[in-house]
Amino acid sequence: MKREEAEQYLFYAMTIGEMLLTSGAEVGRVEDTIRRICMAYGAKRVDVFSITSSIVTTMYGEEFGICTQTRRVSGMSNDLNKLDELNCLSREICTQKPSVEEIKKELERIEKGPQYSFGSQVFIYALVSGSFSVFFGGDFRDMLASALIGAILKFLESFVKKGAANTLLTALICSIAGGFLANLAVRTGLGHHADLISIGNVMLLIPGIAFTNSLRDMFSGDTITGLIRFMESILLAIIIALGFALVNLILGVG
Amino acid sequence: MQEFIQLAAATIGSFGFAALFNIRGKKLIVATLGGFFAWAVYLLAAGFSKNPYLCGFVSSVMLTLYAECMARVYKTPVTVFLVAAAIPLIPGAALYRTMNCLMSQDWMEMRKESTYALLFAASMSAGITLTTLIFRAVWKRLYNQRRM
Repeated sequence: MKREEAEQYLFYAMTIGEMLLTSGAEVGRVEDTIRRICMAYGAKRVDVFSITSSIVTTMYGEEFGICTQTRRVSGMSNDLNKLDELNCLSREICTQKPSVEEIKKELERIEKGPQYSFGSQVFIYALVSGSFSVFFGGDFRDMLASALIGAILKFLESFVKKGAANTLLTALICSIAGGFLANLAVRTGLGHHADLISIGNVMLLIPGIAFTNSLRDMFSGDTITGLIRFMESILLAIIIALGFALVNLILGVG
Repeated sequence: MQEFIQLAAATIGSFGFAALFNIRGKKLIVATLGGFFAWAVYLLAAGFSKNPYLCGFVSSVMLTLYAECMARVYKTPVTVFLVAAAIPLIPGAALYRTMNCLMSQDWMEMRKESTYALLFAASMSAGITLTTLIFRAVWKRLYNQRRM
């Protein structure tokens, strides 16, 4: 294998790693995947280091010498379908060793992969809010109010995200709006308990995937990544709860 | 009756989260069942013990076992099943109440709610990580033996 070729393969291995990381994989999986792919194409030794925002890989081989590439990773999409497909692809790469063009084609297909439409996402937001409002002890009217607010929050969230605000600010704006709407719903007589309505919306915005992943990272030895993700998710959770509570303070209830 | 409503709500909530994370097809159903299973175990455990942290621990152990097994059946990362199933166990209500008490400076209530939120999250994560580590170690051993 020539050096140019090896660099190409490493490039695509890094791309797979980057996509895995942004779609919600643990760091251990990302490192392992890149290492396995490089080994499959004939590297003698591969060193991969990854944290949530960066990947560094160096591979050594007798034919192509030493190759190093780095990636800056930003953004988070929590797309477990993509994660699943990337996992299948890397398994396939390790057994069948396809050419660069084939890998590229597959990656483009996965990148475009199916998403639930905006309409059904609004419906899902309403479903989640409503069911968690009932879960924590709300009645039927609370469920209706919470579901309605959940749907409104989806519109608000996609609107705020277009303005390219950062994650924390988006969460704060959404939670303050959610708090106001919950109190409004109680004042107009739609719901009965503002706190139970809000809890449904809190569950919706809370970063559950980041939190469980952070603990798994920490206990499987990737302490740095675990701590970064842990801090991120705790910060986000506090901001969200703060947003809702702030409204209660302003309106003088609760 | 209250328990059945809660169980149904937990299942629907898990389904919603699984869909938000873009899980599709048969895996969506398996992930939803995980949420149902997790809360059913919690309620069962609550019948035996008054300690909510112990119930949370038992429930997260069982749901991790479920997720690890299903991940091997469907050849997919464990995260896919674990995340949606763990959602009903996340102490969102306690977290919300903690912040509310903080804002209204009700320190006694806040201490109670924040202790609950922290301890529950800790027992849940202890259950998940311990089970993962033990399950992986046992699995590796069995797998190697079979190959030899």
